[in-house]
Amino acid sequence: MIDARTHAWLRPLAATFAGAVFFLPLYLMLVNVFKPSTDIVPHPAAPPVPPTMENIGAVLSRPDSLFTYGLVNSVAVTALSITILTVLSAMLGHYLARSRHVLAKVVMVTLLCGLMIPVPVILAPITSVLKTLGLMTTLQGLILVNIGYYVPFGVLLFMGFVKGVPLELEEAAELDGASRLRVFWQVVFPLLRPASASVLIFLGVWIWNDFLTPLVILGPDSGTTVTVGVYRAIGQHQSDFGAVFAFMFLATLPILVFYLALQKNFVKGLTGGAVKG
Amino acid sequence: MTDIDHAALAASSAPMEQANSARANSAQANKAQTTRAATARAAAAPSGVRRPPAEPPRRRRPPAWRYRTGQSLGRFALFALPGLLAYVLFVLVPIGMTAYYSFTNRNPFNPPTRWVGLRNYADLLGDPEFHQALANTVVITVIVTLLANAGGLLIAMLLDRPTKLYLALRGVFFTPVVLSSVVISVIWQAVLTDEGLLNSVLRGLGVADPPGWLSDPEIALYSIAWILTWQMLGFCVVVYLAGLQGVPRELREAAAIDGCGPLARFRNVTWPMLAPALTINTVMLLITGFKAYDQIQVITNGGPGTGTTATMAFQVVQTAFTGNHIGYSSAMAAVMLALVGTVSVIVLRVLQRREVTR
Repeated sequence: MIDARTHAWLRPLAATFAGAVFFLPLYLMLVNVFKPSTDIVPHPAAPPVPPTMENIGAVLSRPDSLFTYGLVNSVAVTALSITILTVLSAMLGHYLARSRHVLAKVVMVTLLCGLMIPVPVILAPITSVLKTLGLMTTLQGLILVNIGYYVPFGVLLFMGFVKGVPLELEEAAELDGASRLRVFWQVVFPLLRPASASVLIFLGVWIWNDFLTPLVILGPDSGTTVTVGVYRAIGQHQSDFGAVFAFMFLATLPILVFYLALQKNFVKGLTGGAVKG
Repeated sequence: MTDIDHAALAASSAPMEQANSARANSAQANKAQTTRAATARAAAAPSGVRRPPAEPPRRRRPPAWRYRTGQSLGRFALFALPGLLAYVLFVLVPIGMTAYYSFTNRNPFNPPTRWVGLRNYADLLGDPEFHQALANTVVITVIVTLLANAGGLLIAMLLDRPTKLYLALRGVFFTPVVLSSVVISVIWQAVLTDEGLLNSVLRGLGVADPPGWLSDPEIALYSIAWILTWQMLGFCVVVYLAGLQGVPRELREAAAIDGCGPLARFRNVTWPMLAPALTINTVMLLITGFKAYDQIQVITNGGPGTGTTATMAFQVVQTAFTGNHIGYSSAMAAVMLALVGTVSVIVLRVLQRREVTR
């Protein structure tokens, strides 16, 4: 902006510098995952030459299997929650977007309010509800809570996209004799794929990274998710940064891969929806 | 990584669409209504008109109205009910229970639960721990909202170029958004502890007595606010980048031709065009700051000292699950919810008005 030509070097330099400073903490974690614990305290920022797999091996072979059990739980909870959430919120979003009933608007506003509610506000009663249902400290209970809590987000995202699906398409399918369910599954839902991708990514990342809800609902006895596992791991060996960093690295890897894998869809999806909607 | 800005676009378009959707929705609904009504009339006409009324046609089906309500009830049960049921059961019912508990002395280990009226709320007024939590929450929220907005805008303007370097840097700034706040907390704890990386660098630079970023009660709160800012910065960058892409080049050029310098161009062209991005970021940051919990639980546990970094969310959870004073914690939660709701609605209104009158 100042003078594009004489200061051409300024922007890349400033940008790279800002990025490097910003990235420093992440660099520290990455580097120290592959360093023996004895090297971390004296040389925290040094690159890991030669890299060691010692820390990662230690996490994977923990006697209490904190990581492996946590990973199984996290994958189960995240996968089931986001699959069910995508289907349910697509159906509900479609229903609300097409409904002309006054109540539909009331429901919409109620859902909108749900977006603002912080978890701590409703956590204690949620445990009461789960206890009544006999689902406290179970994965099913956690999944149900996730569904209830995140359904507003899914619905609002889908509702925006449903408006991009021409009503004539649904009417045509209905005239051809398709049932409501079939119209939804074979005509509407495939067209909502971009929105589905966005819902899957957002909710996948949020649910995987969730801390307080699984901490309270799963409780201390019945195994945890990997994210809560990180918290448990720092409680045990505060000083052993190598082990903690390796745990965090492994706990982050799956969701990072998931994010990067779906990201492309996400893009197409959003532009598609943006143009139509 | 080009796609991150689209992510923001989605994030950004969602809340705004809500505002517009009501209008668009009703228009669309009206259209649908007339189409459907026309179809229904056309279908009903041939059979009814020509036959003599003395000999009504036998109906195998139930009357149309019953058929239709039956069908729409079935549709409701199939499409809307499952999602709504989960929402009612795990959000609306708990909200109601929180409201109810807040008027009782509920404590699962000290039954029976009795109605105490407004006593919990009266106690909150004179509770120094709650006052501190409230003050801490406000400090964190204000710092995060201002810093992340300003930093995000600056970096977005720096990165607003389509070459590979800047696309890669977008990815760098966005990474913390994908990470768990537990992971982020542990990383920053390693950096900021007394013998952590930052202080060893400072000592190397000759600072004899570097500050205890997390152990000094005067500083710890600001360290927490900084960590939250770092975590949210990428989100703001991406939303502002999406906003910057929406500023037409012609507008800037026109302003330049009219004699605007870079600063005037920013103030009169770019900044007003970024109003929607500012709205989204501010509301997101406000909500994030208000509900700050994870970082405090993982890093400071409310300390150093008593409650120097405790936020409202932290106080609510502690009171409910460590102290088991569900009644009292519910009153706190109710106040917290009322505050979040009021502040976000007001800010949303104010900022959206800015968008309209640009």
